[in-house]
Amino acid sequence: MRREIPLAITFLAGMFMLVDFFVPHHRVSAAGEELKQWGTIVIAASILLGIGNLIRVHSKKIARRQSGWGFSLVCLSVMAVMLWFGMWPGAKLGPNPLVGSIAQGSYFNWMYLNMDVPLQGTMFSLLAFFIASAAYRAFRLRSPEASLLLISAIVVMLGRVPLGQLLTKGLPEKATLPWLTEAIMTYPNMAAFRGILMGAALGVMAMGLRIILGIERSYLGGEK
Amino acid sequence: MRALLPALSLSVSVLLALFPPAGRAADAPLSEVVRETAAPAAVTGLQARDYLDNNDRGDKIELSWCLSADDGAGALSVLEYRVWRSQAPDEQGELVATLEPGTAAHVDTGVTPGVAYYYRVEAFDGALSSPAATAGPAVGRINLFQTSRLPVLVLSLAFFAMVIWFTRLAARGTNLFVRRIPGLNAVEEAVGRATEMGRPVLYVPGIGEIDDIQTIASLTILSHVAKIAAEYETPLIVPTARSVVMSAAEEVVKEAYAEAGHPDNYNPDNIRYLSDAQFAFAGAVSGIMMRERPAANLYLGAFWAESLLFAETGFETKAIQVAGTANVSQLPFFVTACDYTLLGEELYAASAYLSREPKLLGGLKGSDWMKVITICIIVAGVVLTALGVPQFGRWFFTQ
Amino acid sequence: MNMTLIGTTLAALLTIAVYSFLYKDNPFYKFAEHLVVGVSAGYYLVIYYYNFIDPTVVSPVFRLRIGGDAILLGGVDWWMALIPGLLGLILYARFFPKIGWVSRWALGIYVGGYSGLGIAPVMQARVLDQIRGGALPVHALHTGQGWTNLLLVVGLLGTLTYFFFSLKHKGVLGGLARIGIVFIMVGFGASFGYTVMSRVSLLIGRMNFLLHDWLRIV
Repeated sequence: MRREIPLAITFLAGMFMLVDFFVPHHRVSAAGEELKQWGTIVIAASILLGIGNLIRVHSKKIARRQSGWGFSLVCLSVMAVMLWFGMWPGAKLGPNPLVGSIAQGSYFNWMYLNMDVPLQGTMFSLLAFFIASAAYRAFRLRSPEASLLLISAIVVMLGRVPLGQLLTKGLPEKATLPWLTEAIMTYPNMAAFRGILMGAALGVMAMGLRIILGIERSYLGGEK
Repeated sequence: MRALLPALSLSVSVLLALFPPAGRAADAPLSEVVRETAAPAAVTGLQARDYLDNNDRGDKIELSWCLSADDGAGALSVLEYRVWRSQAPDEQGELVATLEPGTAAHVDTGVTPGVAYYYRVEAFDGALSSPAATAGPAVGRINLFQTSRLPVLVLSLAFFAMVIWFTRLAARGTNLFVRRIPGLNAVEEAVGRATEMGRPVLYVPGIGEIDDIQTIASLTILSHVAKIAAEYETPLIVPTARSVVMSAAEEVVKEAYAEAGHPDNYNPDNIRYLSDAQFAFAGAVSGIMMRERPAANLYLGAFWAESLLFAETGFETKAIQVAGTANVSQLPFFVTACDYTLLGEELYAASAYLSREPKLLGGLKGSDWMKVITICIIVAGVVLTALGVPQFGRWFFTQ
Repeated sequence: MNMTLIGTTLAALLTIAVYSFLYKDNPFYKFAEHLVVGVSAGYYLVIYYYNFIDPTVVSPVFRLRIGGDAILLGGVDWWMALIPGLLGLILYARFFPKIGWVSRWALGIYVGGYSGLGIAPVMQARVLDQIRGGALPVHALHTGQGWTNLLLVVGLLGTLTYFFFSLKHKGVLGGLARIGIVFIMVGFGASFGYTVMSRVSLLIGRMNFLLHDWLRIV
């Protein structure tokens, strides 16, 4: 019983969305759109589950004074402050219109722009260093396939910058780096990605079918 | 008296030639004056039929025609097309649309479903209208099947039939062969190595939401990895970027520990929600790698740009790394930094491969033979195109 | 107090704290990492509420606004808004052992619905459209176009063969699979090289922020 109902729900929801693709009737389309919106709301509502987990893990650390508990305190305090700045109903009750609002100029927005955005942006930019170290390591040709990857990476890398144009300036068009870059991106790249995506698509379909039919149940938690 | 009529018409013609109405050159030659009184050419091949889209209320009719011969040419250049709609074949009815020159199709919205309509399309050059092309009766209907998607249905049903057939075959005990996938063998090896070194295993199920099939595939593999970790009593850390994925992972790991006979070893603090934000998650996972020093890093699921951050940081800590994703843009980074990488479909094959369960192997076999069919269709298409048969592409065109 | 100046300085210090990770893990990076986890957690909670929960569930059902205003029960289609709200609440049943299994219902609708959504459109876009695009005219081998088409077709067939799991990759099949992996590796290398410049431009952006917006020396 406990197992059967969610599986039946999964089957019905899945079959409905599948049918929605083939049936143009406006009521079916409208119901499909409604179902998709419900899904979005369920996911948005689930955020408290994650926040709860975060609070639990960090509070335990603080309570037991484990190594790094000070940082956990920072994490939880800052989260509480963000919540206060964003949700406090005092915007109309209290004197400060910048609290309880997410509009531009509010404290919430200030914290987002001066903490979240630069931190995430900087972490993203770390990739510039990591891509260099990854490329450097790829120079240690581990296998013939790796050397193919390396050669085509170098060609495309150079072909995309003015240096590449400069290096092969005098050569006939088909031997210049920019032309080779274009050729590699258009032909082997496209053919390979098309094949991988097609194979992955069949994998997705097989998995989707297994989920709808209830054969794949691991996301519900185990076999019982 | 008899001479009066020709005299009158001659003088009228002379007068018109000397004082032409507005819009014509005063010294236009007689031949052009004669031509101006002719209407533009009519449109041809007018067809009216029920319009099928994905939100069908039966209230749209689609019209298509071939452009008037005078469209874009000379003094009789068409200024607009006029579309008339009526409910009787010989009535002109109401004007429903005026369209710019060059338009050869129009969707008439707001018709009543089930009612027959008759259409006329005229080309108008600013002064005169062409003879009307007519079409009808056309009826708007609420359709129950989008016929343009028939090829999708056919192929999908063929695919399902194969999956179900192979699943039955496997359930009956037939041995279905699956070739060796090195990345998947490495998963167990990685957990073993972490156990030897007395360090934890880090399993990142991607940053996709639970509706992403890659995440579900990852949770299936997590179940398998958790069982091995439970048997070896190796700590398993699972950081997640989505709340629902976290709760699903909790259930999966808890169940796996129970099945392995070590329910007490399950540590709920090892399944951690970190952040929905992509790089906050990446930074926090990097922190876990640097501080808790897992000896095996498994990245299986949907990844985006943060993939390189994980792989490189993990490499610095000298962990054995196995990655798998169907996001092809991230595969190059995993391939350069990880010891083994599962490419696209290999991730989906993992659940069948690791568990060897007949029901799952059936899906794998079905996909495989669907690939064979796809290859045959492509080869057939290439051959047919070479022989000059153009219909091939059209059969695969769906909306 | 100039909030903009304080904000820029704070952002710059946090930027440097993250870059210190390149040297090694240190307290500044740990601080920055925990800070961003806390800030983003708070951010997502607030944003999800304002953008999803409030307009689709809370407002139609209660007409309650955060910050006061009279509470009126019932809005347009309030009972339709109640269903996803209830589904969202059901997820939390997992905290109560006796009814915890009900939380799987919400998950079932979501996962089932999106699995169904992922079948036919994927077949259309990733299989049918790719077949149409992949079956190219290769007979005109006296032109360059014919050769490039042949390259594309052979690459596609090779890649598909590489992912064939039912037979060992030996003989003709093995040869075709080998061609496939060659194409895949060249494609990966191209992707890799293509991304290098965009990653470097991110670094340039951050450097620009530090040197121009903060220190004003550039």
